Amino acid sequence: MKKDKKTVKGKMSAAQKKENRYGYLFAMPWILGLFLFTLIPMIISAILSFCNWDIVTGIKTIRFVGLDNFKRLGTDKEFFQALKVTFKFCLISIPLYQISSLLIALMLNMRIKFMKSFRLIYFLPSIIPVIAASMIWTQIFGEQGLLNQGLKLVGVTGPAWLNNTKTSLYALIIMGIWGIGNTMIIYLSGLQGVSEELKEAAGIDGANALQVFFKITIPLISPTIFFNVIMAVIGSFQYFTQAFVMTKGGPLNSTLFYNLYLYTTAYKKYEMGYAAVLAWVMFAIILVFTLIVIKSSSFWVYYQNDDKI
Amino acid sequence: MNNTRKGYLNLIIRVMAMLVLFAGAVFILIPLIWTICMAVKPDGEIYTKNFFPTKIMFSNFSKAIKSIAFFKYFLNTVKILIPNLIGTVISSAIVAYGFSRFNFKGKRVWFLILLATMMLPGQITMIPQFLIFRQIGWVNTTLPLIIPAFFGGGAFNIFLLRQYMSGIPKDFDEAARIDGAGHFRVFAKIILPMCKPVLTAVSIFTFMGVWNDFNGPLIYLYDSSKFTLAIGLSFFKGLYTSKWNLLMAATLIVMLPILILFFVAQQYIIDGISISSGTKG
Repeated sequence: MKKDKKTVKGKMSAAQKKENRYGYLFAMPWILGLFLFTLIPMIISAILSFCNWDIVTGIKTIRFVGLDNFKRLGTDKEFFQALKVTFKFCLISIPLYQISSLLIALMLNMRIKFMKSFRLIYFLPSIIPVIAASMIWTQIFGEQGLLNQGLKLVGVTGPAWLNNTKTSLYALIIMGIWGIGNTMIIYLSGLQGVSEELKEAAGIDGANALQVFFKITIPLISPTIFFNVIMAVIGSFQYFTQAFVMTKGGPLNSTLFYNLYLYTTAYKKYEMGYAAVLAWVMFAIILVFTLIVIKSSSFWVYYQNDDKI
Repeated sequence: MNNTRKGYLNLIIRVMAMLVLFAGAVFILIPLIWTICMAVKPDGEIYTKNFFPTKIMFSNFSKAIKSIAFFKYFLNTVKILIPNLIGTVISSAIVAYGFSRFNFKGKRVWFLILLATMMLPGQITMIPQFLIFRQIGWVNTTLPLIIPAFFGGGAFNIFLLRQYMSGIPKDFDEAARIDGAGHFRVFAKIILPMCKPVLTAVSIFTFMGVWNDFNGPLIYLYDSSKFTLAIGLSFFKGLYTSKWNLLMAATLIVMLPILILFFVAQQYIIDGISISSGTKG
């Protein structure tokens, strides 16, 4: 009896060993990549943030400077400007994009005519290469561009949108509405998971359409809202190509997005140590924000089944 | 009585929704239609008020192609694209198979790390990666834009494939195993063919990612002879600031492959995005 148990146990661990061997064998490309392209670079980046290094002069000139790079943040006006631009963009664009894409998804979910064509049209801009979209909108926002020609028809003389400190950031925000198709598709897919019976049952109980929306639909798609908001914050901090191509951060740093400042510090000024600090600050901000959203999510995110990862 | 009133209300809401959607569709399509019109305008009409060109100049397209090294940029892009497709599809499928079929020790932790890397902003690793590639002499070559694809092909793709593979019953594997097939055979002959739809989605996302990538080539490629289409286009913008007809013609040419891909394979793209957000799986 005892002996039997032992052999079974021995067999189990042999099977487990086999599982381990094959599991790691198949997962190995990714594990190697994780170390080579993520973990080791993260360690280097952490070390780099305590060093000064002008990359042009080679690895010999690297110097340990302690907390100097972090202290520099406090007096760096461009850093604060970059934060201001990015936060302003977040504050305006996130509610705007989320609400409008949710509304469009709701309307598309009504099973109206031409639903498929509408879905296609709304999604279309988000697959267009960002560089191509940037070219198109640079012209639209030009002094003689499409927007100002349209405004002229109603007697308004528009500014050169991208060359004006008052309008440049708003121009980029307007351009962004054009590309909400991705977010919209995710909402639409979330809405399609809301059971019709539940909504009908509420309707029979006397709830009107607005009540059904706020008491049934919104709670049920709250995990989707949660996902989209976090992705939008990360996206705002990674916003780059449009600003780089259309405004170069100008005029007068009015569109100096955080990621653009990071790029300039690293690849135009070659200040790798300070750029590493900027990257870590960005990481910290995203992490703090994500944690706030996750912590608060128990109040407003409703999960139908708990085992969802 | 109540029912007919509700019916009317329903109809009004539907009509309103239709109108709003229609207005939104116009907002989305006008810049695109206008881009096409601008691309075929004669030089003299660039700054005139008329929306449509009076004369259609198809020669703008050939002019745009000749003004920059378009074919070179195209070839450069394809040379990055093909290895990326191969590396991503093969390595992400291998890793996903490992995660979906074996209960190895520490699997949960590894998988959580995998999910976490999806949220990690690339900027953290961008600078040290650049320094490493520079140290081994890979800067100003396409290697930094290609080699990482062979190491798992991106967390998102692995996740997508793992979700799909986990949905395939293990009975298939076991039947083949009883017939004497090893794990690699099961993977290559049973699981991979069943993953065709999601492998297609992964290929499409990879294609779009490489074609649209601006940041990577911007950082790693210096010589204009090595530029990709995306970088070439922004370079072109600097050269021809006022020739909007040629710029828009070039923009359309760069967009074309993506547009074709989208119209052919939109369902894969839309499903892939839905799965990634957890709303479908």
